[in-house]
Amino acid sequence: MATAIVVPAMSEQERRPETDGRDFADAAWSVPSYLLSGILIWGGLGWLLSWWTGVHAFIPIGVVLGVGLAAYLVYLKYGR
Amino acid sequence: MTPLMLVAEDFTAPGPSIFDFPPLYEGAPTWLTKPVLMAVLGALVVCALAWSAFANPKLVPRGMQNIGEMGYQFVRDQVARPFLGKDAERWMPLLLSLFFLILLWNFFGVVPLIQIPVASHIAFPVVFAVVIYVIKIYLGIKHQGLGGYFKNMMFPPGLPKPIYVLLAPIEFLSNLIIAPFTHAVRLFANMFAGHLILAFFSAVGFWFLFEKLTPLGAGLGVLGVVMTIGMTGFEMFIQFLQAFLFTMLAAMYIGGSLHPEH
Amino acid sequence: MSVLAEVAGNLGAIGYGLAAIGPGIGVGIIFGQGVQAIARQPEAYGLIRQNMLLGFVLTEALALIGLVAPFIYG
Repeated sequence: MATAIVVPAMSEQERRPETDGRDFADAAWSVPSYLLSGILIWGGLGWLLSWWTGVHAFIPIGVVLGVGLAAYLVYLKYGR
Repeated sequence: MTPLMLVAEDFTAPGPSIFDFPPLYEGAPTWLTKPVLMAVLGALVVCALAWSAFANPKLVPRGMQNIGEMGYQFVRDQVARPFLGKDAERWMPLLLSLFFLILLWNFFGVVPLIQIPVASHIAFPVVFAVVIYVIKIYLGIKHQGLGGYFKNMMFPPGLPKPIYVLLAPIEFLSNLIIAPFTHAVRLFANMFAGHLILAFFSAVGFWFLFEKLTPLGAGLGVLGVVMTIGMTGFEMFIQFLQAFLFTMLAAMYIGGSLHPEH
Repeated sequence: MSVLAEVAGNLGAIGYGLAAIGPGIGVGIIFGQGVQAIARQPEAYGLIRQNMLLGFVLTEALALIGLVAPFIYG
């Protein structure tokens, strides 16, 4: 007699939906504040530099650098 | 000049001044305005609802208790348990009253005659966000120690040393300044913008259908009325969603302080 | 030449409104497709979640650059 064996795709132990959901919500909600603080810190540094040296190009460089670093931080914390 | 501009010449869209209210009566202190009155009214209504629902609980719930338990179950299962785990019940009183109060304050935006979402004045969300912020930091220091809290926050483990110099300031600013700021601003901005949208479309409808009825402008007026009705429904959804999100983020911050990431 | 339409107000605010359109659509697509992918293949949840998050970060970065651009060049 052939019986269909139903194997769950993942056991409860592997899956843990509660903590998974919590981690994901945690990560997704902290992304905007990470990006914003990256822009503020590194853009602010760029602003100081441009004010000091008179080269305006430092502000956009700082902003883009801050965005990049903040995205890298999110990748390090949640993306691996 | 196009014909449409001639029709719309005298129309002025409502601006941020629609959120300014005079004192309630002659000789009242300047802070005693309609939003303040509505804030107090909302708090009293929430107290009365909670009292009638939970003061005298029956084994078989009837009437108000049914509604109260529905709300309790929603907040517990959707907000508290995913983020607080086994500590959920301990924090339910705070989260439940926060959720109901914000929901009621937001719903005031579409109730006729009241028609002011209390949270569209940033002072009110800021108080909530500050309360949650103080709880978050107090719990973090209590459960992880003063040094441990800041270490867990600013130095996620397992990275090469030089990277920390670049990333620790971002973590610090994000957790301690930007996160509570966006927590308050998200609620405020949604209510502010939503109220402005409703005011704009109803002003369009009123102006082109009642104040200056012209053959060309009538279509615009009808569009304004239709949009007002549609946007009111959408606004009610947003109001519920923002109350839910504010409570959810509060639970997330509290949970993050209670159980640090390993 | 007659003016058909005229814009009054803060140009930076209008610019941010325009800059938010693209990331708004992008975030919608990312989470919509991500949820669909999880529904189709729940066992790939970890991988999908990871890529969803990275895509969200890159898209959200554009919106926030749009937010600060008026402050820099305003």
